Amino acid sequence: MMQHNRAYLWFIAPALILMFVILLLPIFIAAGMSLTDYSLGNSGAEFVGLENYEKIFTRSTYAKMFGATFRYVFVVVPLTVGLGLGAALLINSLKRFGDLYKTIYFLPVMAALIAMAIVWEFAFHPTIGIINATLEHGCGTFLEGWSWYAKGCARTFPLWLTDRNYAIWTVSFIGIWQGFGFNMVLYLAGLTSIPRDLYHAAEMDGAQSNWDRFRLVTWPMLGPTTVFVITISMIRSFQVFDTVEAFYPQGGGPSKSVYVMMFAIYEKAIQQNLMGIGAAITMVFLGFVLVLTLLQRWLVERRTHYA
Amino acid sequence: MSSISLRQIAKSFGSTTILQGVTLDIHDGEFVTLVGPSGCGKSTLLRILAGLETADSGTVTIGDTDVTQTRPSARNLAMVFQSYALYPHLSVAQNMLTPLLLRDLSAVERLPVVGPLLSRAKRRALMAQVQDTAQTLKITNLLARKPGQLSGGQRQRVALGRAMVRNPVAFLMDEPLSNLDAALRVHMRSELADLHRRLQTTFIYVTHDQAEALTMSDRMAVMMGGKILQLGRPDDVYGNPNCLAVARFVGSPAINTIPGEVDAAGGLNVLGQRVTQAAGLPKQPVNVGIRPEHLFLMPTGAFQGVVKHRENLGSDVFLRIGVDGCEDQIVLRSTPMAAAQLGETVRFALQPEDILLFDAEGQRLRPQTAPMKVPA
Repeated sequence: MMQHNRAYLWFIAPALILMFVILLLPIFIAAGMSLTDYSLGNSGAEFVGLENYEKIFTRSTYAKMFGATFRYVFVVVPLTVGLGLGAALLINSLKRFGDLYKTIYFLPVMAALIAMAIVWEFAFHPTIGIINATLEHGCGTFLEGWSWYAKGCARTFPLWLTDRNYAIWTVSFIGIWQGFGFNMVLYLAGLTSIPRDLYHAAEMDGAQSNWDRFRLVTWPMLGPTTVFVITISMIRSFQVFDTVEAFYPQGGGPSKSVYVMMFAIYEKAIQQNLMGIGAAITMVFLGFVLVLTLLQRWLVERRTHYA
Repeated sequence: MSSISLRQIAKSFGSTTILQGVTLDIHDGEFVTLVGPSGCGKSTLLRILAGLETADSGTVTIGDTDVTQTRPSARNLAMVFQSYALYPHLSVAQNMLTPLLLRDLSAVERLPVVGPLLSRAKRRALMAQVQDTAQTLKITNLLARKPGQLSGGQRQRVALGRAMVRNPVAFLMDEPLSNLDAALRVHMRSELADLHRRLQTTFIYVTHDQAEALTMSDRMAVMMGGKILQLGRPDDVYGNPNCLAVARFVGSPAINTIPGEVDAAGGLNVLGQRVTQAAGLPKQPVNVGIRPEHLFLMPTGAFQGVVKHRENLGSDVFLRIGVDGCEDQIVLRSTPMAAAQLGETVRFALQPEDILLFDAEGQRLRPQTAPMKVPA
């Protein structure tokens, strides 16, 4: 009888143990480590309390880190989501060549970002890069009416990757280019799951314009997809690392203007072997992701699952 | 004022022909049912009338206007879908309000945030219209709920309400009851018929269920293979079908078809018995159709068989009788009191005037004079 009652343990134990060892234990270790000044190779470590966290929220380096991270997230997320939705709607309305466009837009998602970063580095090169070379062709035309353009012609066009006023936006641009194809695919999947009958009902009800149909059917029915796409894009944007590492292997860009969180963790914990502070940044990062995930769950359950 | 006519409607998808030149006239205020097995083109015909599909050829006229090229939203028809197609993110009231908003408000008045401020009085009037309709359908207590919180029957009513609220020229219904359970379906049948009587509006109803067609419609059109085989009052279609396919499709259990023969003398022979005189017909093999309620048990009956299956419906008992010389079992309606037991050998008879005769191709044969009963 006793054995009978305990039998369930045998069924849930493997999953529980694996989850604990692989997911929860590392988080606890990192949380513990963030309260010490541990370095790899040291036999012991001093307990330093919340000192690491205090540094994160007071020092200017970390202020720059948050600045760079949030700039990146708040530019990349809306634009990848918007472009993804736009591309999906356009492709969905095509009768032919839809698959071709899908493939083209999805290519950057599949490509290794580190390789693509090298290509972009060439493209953005101030003297031999194709971007500035193209911009120079526009000099002497009506474009010079734009003061920014005129200034570029008079002196030089920006050093996209090494000017601290431009660096984070340039990296964001590459993030958008790389990321929106993924959102497009998610939106395309969402679009195919909208019942055709709803569009027919909207048509019978008098929805004449595409905008009416979009507002009445498409956008609300894409609600769950949108919440998912935004969450995924946010988490991916918080995690941006490879472009920064490829462009600025040392120091996080001009005046640390591209010093994003993932890079900070890598620099502190791996390059400088300061595991304590690295773990502390990781915990803050984890906090952001956790809040986002909870927000998503709440939104999905409250707002967008209608059934 | 708003009769609807479909002229020579043809439609094919790729190499598959769905409709082959269907013509149908629907009078104002009539309840017409398009009934047929799945794939017969009845839904496509309805969607062409609605404008959701375009016909390859043919014209659609509402009143005196040719609407063949008109958009669905401009035809002022309302449709109830099989899936109900309610907007899941809107409450019942908003669902019913949507067609009114889209028709009666300008684009500016429909803008989010600003729109409601500009058109407050109009919106209040429209909301009153929604309330009226909700009262007619007895769904006032559901107005605040979302479709996801409603039962199948309630959703069906809301779909109906959304269609009714703007007083359309006609209601198009595409199998609206097929997602409901059996008891509710029977209940909704009488409710829809009642609604039609009250509204006096044209109803065009598509179903694969011949019982719905028989119970509700003023006229029913039996469709098969992209054609209307017969159009008429339910009584006529049931009692006087013009081909074997219609006779078989309408009525449950289906009509019995027994192979027979008209001999040179014009006598009709069924299962070796001469049952009646089929005057004016040449000698030929025929299909004899006889409905289960027109056969009865009788100790002196001309035919004999063994009860193979007994189907008790409470009020009626249907006996399936295996008869030598007839491939299909013959179904006979009896009463619980009189019905024979399983395995029993029974004798039964038929009234010759109830016989429907079809030729080998399934076309109806009509003897010149009424068949005369041969004394037993």
